[in-house]
Amino acid sequence: MKGASRYLPAIPVLLAYAALFGYGLIFPGQWQLVAQLAFYCALGQAFNLFMGMTGYVDFGYVAFLGIGTYGMAISISGLADKGLGLGVIVIGLILSVVFAVLLSLAVGAVALRLRGAYFAIATIGVNEGFRYLVEGARIWNGSEGIIFSRQLRDAVGQEAAMALSTFWADVMVFGVAVIATVLTIVYMRGKIGYALAALRMDEDAAKVMGINVTRFKIIAFITSAALAGALGATAWAVKLTYVFPADVFAIHYTVEAIIIVLLGGAGTLLGPIVGGLIYGVSKYYLAVYIPGFQLLVFAPVIIVVIVMFPEGTVGMIKRKCAGTAFAKYIL
Amino acid sequence: MSLLRLENVTKRFGGLLAVDNITAEISHGEMMAIVGPNGAGKTTLFNLINGVFFPDEGKIWFEDVDVTRYPAYRRAHLGIGRTFQIPRPFASATVRENIAIGAMFGAAGSEISVDQAMEMADRYIGLIGISSHRDKPAGGLTPIEKKMMEIARALAMKPRLLLMDEAMAGMNPKDIDWMVDFIKRIRGEEGIAIVCLVEHIMRAVAGLAERVLVMHQGAKLVDEPTKAALSDPRVIEVYLGVPPGEADA
Amino acid sequence: MILEQLAGNLFQGVVLGTVYGMATMGLSLIFGVLKVVNVGHGAFIMVGAFTSFAVFEYLGLSPVFAVPVAFGIGMALGMIFYYSAIRRLLKGPELASLLATFSFGVILEEAVKQLFTSDFRGFNWDLGKIDMGFTVLPYAKVVACLGSIIVALLLYLWFNRTRAGMAMRSVVEDSVGARVCGVNVDWEYALSFSLGIGLTVASGVLLTMFISVGIHPYMGGEYTLKAFVIAVLGGLASPYGAFFGGLVFGLLENGSYVFFAQIQGLEPFAMTRFFSFLILLLILLLRPTGLLKAK
Repeated sequence: MKGASRYLPAIPVLLAYAALFGYGLIFPGQWQLVAQLAFYCALGQAFNLFMGMTGYVDFGYVAFLGIGTYGMAISISGLADKGLGLGVIVIGLILSVVFAVLLSLAVGAVALRLRGAYFAIATIGVNEGFRYLVEGARIWNGSEGIIFSRQLRDAVGQEAAMALSTFWADVMVFGVAVIATVLTIVYMRGKIGYALAALRMDEDAAKVMGINVTRFKIIAFITSAALAGALGATAWAVKLTYVFPADVFAIHYTVEAIIIVLLGGAGTLLGPIVGGLIYGVSKYYLAVYIPGFQLLVFAPVIIVVIVMFPEGTVGMIKRKCAGTAFAKYIL
Repeated sequence: MSLLRLENVTKRFGGLLAVDNITAEISHGEMMAIVGPNGAGKTTLFNLINGVFFPDEGKIWFEDVDVTRYPAYRRAHLGIGRTFQIPRPFASATVRENIAIGAMFGAAGSEISVDQAMEMADRYIGLIGISSHRDKPAGGLTPIEKKMMEIARALAMKPRLLLMDEAMAGMNPKDIDWMVDFIKRIRGEEGIAIVCLVEHIMRAVAGLAERVLVMHQGAKLVDEPTKAALSDPRVIEVYLGVPPGEADA
Repeated sequence: MILEQLAGNLFQGVVLGTVYGMATMGLSLIFGVLKVVNVGHGAFIMVGAFTSFAVFEYLGLSPVFAVPVAFGIGMALGMIFYYSAIRRLLKGPELASLLATFSFGVILEEAVKQLFTSDFRGFNWDLGKIDMGFTVLPYAKVVACLGSIIVALLLYLWFNRTRAGMAMRSVVEDSVGARVCGVNVDWEYALSFSLGIGLTVASGVLLTMFISVGIHPYMGGEYTLKAFVIAVLGGLASPYGAFFGGLVFGLLENGSYVFFAQIQGLEPFAMTRFFSFLILLLILLLRPTGLLKAK
């Protein structure tokens, strides 16, 4: 596999995103559902970059989404009257990614030295811990959160604010999803992909083979966190124009990310989008027919998948297609 | 400058003294065997040289660099390669990918690309003769095939010191002879300075090693050229239990 | 005044700490025997809390009776979870069992939510208080504290004096050797897991004595965090370590509350929780095997 042909698997994924986007444009009434699906796919793609590729579960993942949301919120509410126009959004994105990276370095410094179960323990409290820090030290208004719809209107004007919150925020979510996809395949096809796969399969043997496992874990961790930060900034901050610690540090979203990645196939490129679509659509219809029951349905699904289909949907498809012409396109 | 130097290396696990004050030296290009009964501490010694764990006392020098506290991956970059007693392939990766990983992250790894690593992998696959398994997941191979793959993978790391832990266990005599030839060949062709064996199989030891270090209960018993070592009465007593001249028949 | 408040707080911390300790013993037991981290730990405590509520509300019985009921429920849940999933995941990657226990927690939370709604529930079991001069201690808390100590003692006796308990210990030491000696390792695993869960659910009953705001289906999260801090303090694999870790944690938690309350601009309640998380990270960084020697 040489040159450009190794990036072929990106095509089905990008096509799928394009199709989803197109569907939403053609049927504007369905845009909210499309936006929601895009969010789940992006979440899965970002989460997969760490959990799928390293095999470590970061139970505190939502903290990166949360802090990203705050990054954007601070930019908008703080810089609204500086006459920067859409610049507040750009600055907000930069801030959210920077915050997420800083938090991931802080958490990673402790957690990434630890193996499997200890890593999970270290991360299990990250979302709780960080939320309580924000509330306890009254950072960024503590538990009262920040509401910045007015500031957004001040910064970019009434119409633009409306357009941002109802359409362009979601477009940016698609953007995050695409960036996550591109990063994933670049990693998977590069040395880092092999290093991560090796350490996932046998960390001690990987070390003996010359792989600096900590370094590669950190790279994957930070990348995954940065994407989460951008996602929080767009899907939550710009879209909703408010942020409350209790909402954005809810472990609920980490559960969803886990479901999406497992359903689709952990460690695959196509998996998160497949998982995101299955989960998003199922959740939507479940909400219509049996509201409030969604997690009760999905949590056992996780267990069934882990016990019976650990490779997930795309993993199974990959196996069945091995050796056929399709294999080039499925990663 | 010696290739590897061990000075008073000691390792304890709780109350068990696994490696007891070993001092030894290996030169470039030397072929040495480490032998001893089960539980003598051979694999632990390998683990110490390799960086899997650190000694409690003593120092380890690789080409005059003090690597005593270097993590395993750094030692790999310096040129220490290793195969395991029980093979540890990356199970879901193909044989080709396994070997390429060795190339990518080994001593020469920083200069080569993924594609070049794959080419190197193909070469070593051909060299060791497992071409038919190239694209199979490594986990599905037979134990002997896994051993071969591990050797290829370790070679792809371009080591200057190759630690082979019981590479010939479970092989029949014909295969052992093949392996002995193979090791001699790669040592010459690949410029691997030394192949360090841990072996029970005296056929291999006698055929390959220039020097033998015999371990017993963690300590060094003898460290002599092969012929001398194998006929040393202390060695025979440890292996057979009885000094020569007192054995029956 | 401050000193009296501090003394009172620390005393309360010890009382609470014994219950915390008991609540964590199950976690350490499961990890010690099966090497499985029960990430859904808090949810099981929540189940215990709701059992206590249900027994009081619907059966009119005091929480003392709820303890064995909760223990039974816990054992039953443990068996179900073990045989349906855990058993098959023991040989797989660690990730799998982590996710499984996590999902169990989610299932329990959602199920309880369906049964009881997500409203806060509370009940009042007032036995009167005992005035100790520097602090006031409700009898209910005394009962809980004594109950925890009794359970810890029972567990000790069980491990060291009964055949069943020793069989379980043998499995920890050497599962292959145990098998050769005729121990049914799979059954011991099932029993250990269920015992651990039973302990955890039962502790939920005792913990309700200390929760003034009321219980709700999603209360587990903070207890999972606390349990992990305690478990890591005491050495993840040792139930006795967990008990003493609980005492230490109770002291730290209450002590830190007084400390944070002195500082303007901070909300002591939330800061205490953040502090516990900080302790967790510190210990994992410095002494992952716990402050006590591993058993």
